[in-house]
Amino acid sequence: MASVTRFSPGHAAEDSRLVREARGGDASAFERLYERYARVIHGVVLARVGRVDVDDLVQDVFLAAWARLATLRDPQAFGGWLTSIARRRAIDHHRRAVETTELPADLEAPDAAAPRAEAIAVIEVVRSLPDAYRETLVLRLVEGMTGQEIADRTGMTPASVRVNLHRGMRLLRDRLQR
Amino acid sequence: MSEGQMDDERYLWDRSGEPDAEIVRLEALLSPLRHRGQPLGVRPRPPVRRWVRMLVPALAVAAMMFLVASAAWFSWTARRDGWDVQRVGGAPVVSGVRVAGNRGRDGARLAVGGWLVTDGASRARIEVGEIGEVEVDPNTRLQLVTSSGREHRMALARGTIHATIWAPPKFFFVDTPSAVAVDLGCAYTLQVADDGSGMVRVTHGWVGFQSGAREVFIPEGAVCSTRRGNGPGTPRYEDAPAGYAGALAVLDFSDAGDARRASALDVVLSRARPRDALTLWHLLRRGSLDERRLVYERMAVLAPPPDGVTREAVLAGDRAALDRWWDALGLESTTWWRLWKRDWEK
Repeated sequence: MASVTRFSPGHAAEDSRLVREARGGDASAFERLYERYARVIHGVVLARVGRVDVDDLVQDVFLAAWARLATLRDPQAFGGWLTSIARRRAIDHHRRAVETTELPADLEAPDAAAPRAEAIAVIEVVRSLPDAYRETLVLRLVEGMTGQEIADRTGMTPASVRVNLHRGMRLLRDRLQR
Repeated sequence: MSEGQMDDERYLWDRSGEPDAEIVRLEALLSPLRHRGQPLGVRPRPPVRRWVRMLVPALAVAAMMFLVASAAWFSWTARRDGWDVQRVGGAPVVSGVRVAGNRGRDGARLAVGGWLVTDGASRARIEVGEIGEVEVDPNTRLQLVTSSGREHRMALARGTIHATIWAPPKFFFVDTPSAVAVDLGCAYTLQVADDGSGMVRVTHGWVGFQSGAREVFIPEGAVCSTRRGNGPGTPRYEDAPAGYAGALAVLDFSDAGDARRASALDVVLSRARPRDALTLWHLLRRGSLDERRLVYERMAVLAPPPDGVTREAVLAGDRAALDRWWDALGLESTTWWRLWKRDWEK
């Protein structure tokens, strides 16, 4: 059974501290921010982009955030700010990308950790859902975050996350049963 | 809600309560797609030094001076009154005289106040001073209104034109029966039907569409309709979700009752992608307060407002708040169009 990520309650304050240190030129503080948010950004991007491009885009998002860190007004809002960069990068990627078809996992080189073809098919169905639903579902089902953690990390309200999870899951069940 | 459903809800929320078998199966199936904990690939370089940051405003001022200088140059070179017209096909007519040729001296001169008319088999090309070109499709009727250094203006009574303007923004205007198209540095196609309705389709840059206090800004890849008596509608991207054009026509131009408007708004909001924030942003300035509340809620999910932009300010139509949210959408050239727009509004 997949584990659930849990964050300490004071993570916004910790974010704020790390952002201030990173702004002062401390690259290791920024690397700490990466460790705290890599999974969230991975989920946000995976909800929109084929998995072969996801890791590169996650790196792009963090490097863009590093370059623009001085423009962030409220260091406590780092999570929402970062996820909005990720959404835009994913959209830009789509706009520029040549249309490709994701290779089924069973046709790729063997890898013990590779997802099964069914997983790729399911994630495709998730990506076909409305934006708000697919992102929260990926963060919950793939990245293993709780609803509260999704809200804390993306800047959405807990109520919005709850609604998105509930409606998204209902829609996903319907589509998987077709 | 039944107790079973509440258990499902709890499990979906934070994995407390009775596990839902389908969710557990999906978690296990999808876990290999999870982030694998790779480290940040490139160690970030230290932030840009202060003197470099100070250089940026200086460069912006230099760019502004270049823009002003180029505007002056375009004004100077575009002083000759009238536009040259060349025949591309058929027999276009300029002020009652058929255009004979398709090369410089064989063409015709369209004077201020003169009309260019193409029939079903004719096409023409207009050289708009030194600032651009306009291709004129068959069955088009247009008039040259102004051709001075700072302003080139035509009236498109009906038909289709394809404009490519390389002058700085706000040199070229097209009056239509229901709105004025303002070039903001762009290439676009503008169509006007016999009933005075119109459609602009932007292929590069930006176009402003204005009628009275109603104004819209249309970026590359977007389209916008306009109707006599209403002015411009709400812009949308050409690849907007199915049903968008019809739903926006209801919201922009029809006298539909509340139920039909609600249904149209539901189509627009429920199918919106983050990219459609362009459309939603324009809707924040239109419709009833209840409609704008719904638009706000949806847009806040798709493209969260930046820090300091509050729901109250947006719903009150606060210009600064709306502008800041627009800036946060990441649409290109916003600084430039805003600069020129401010001038245009004087």
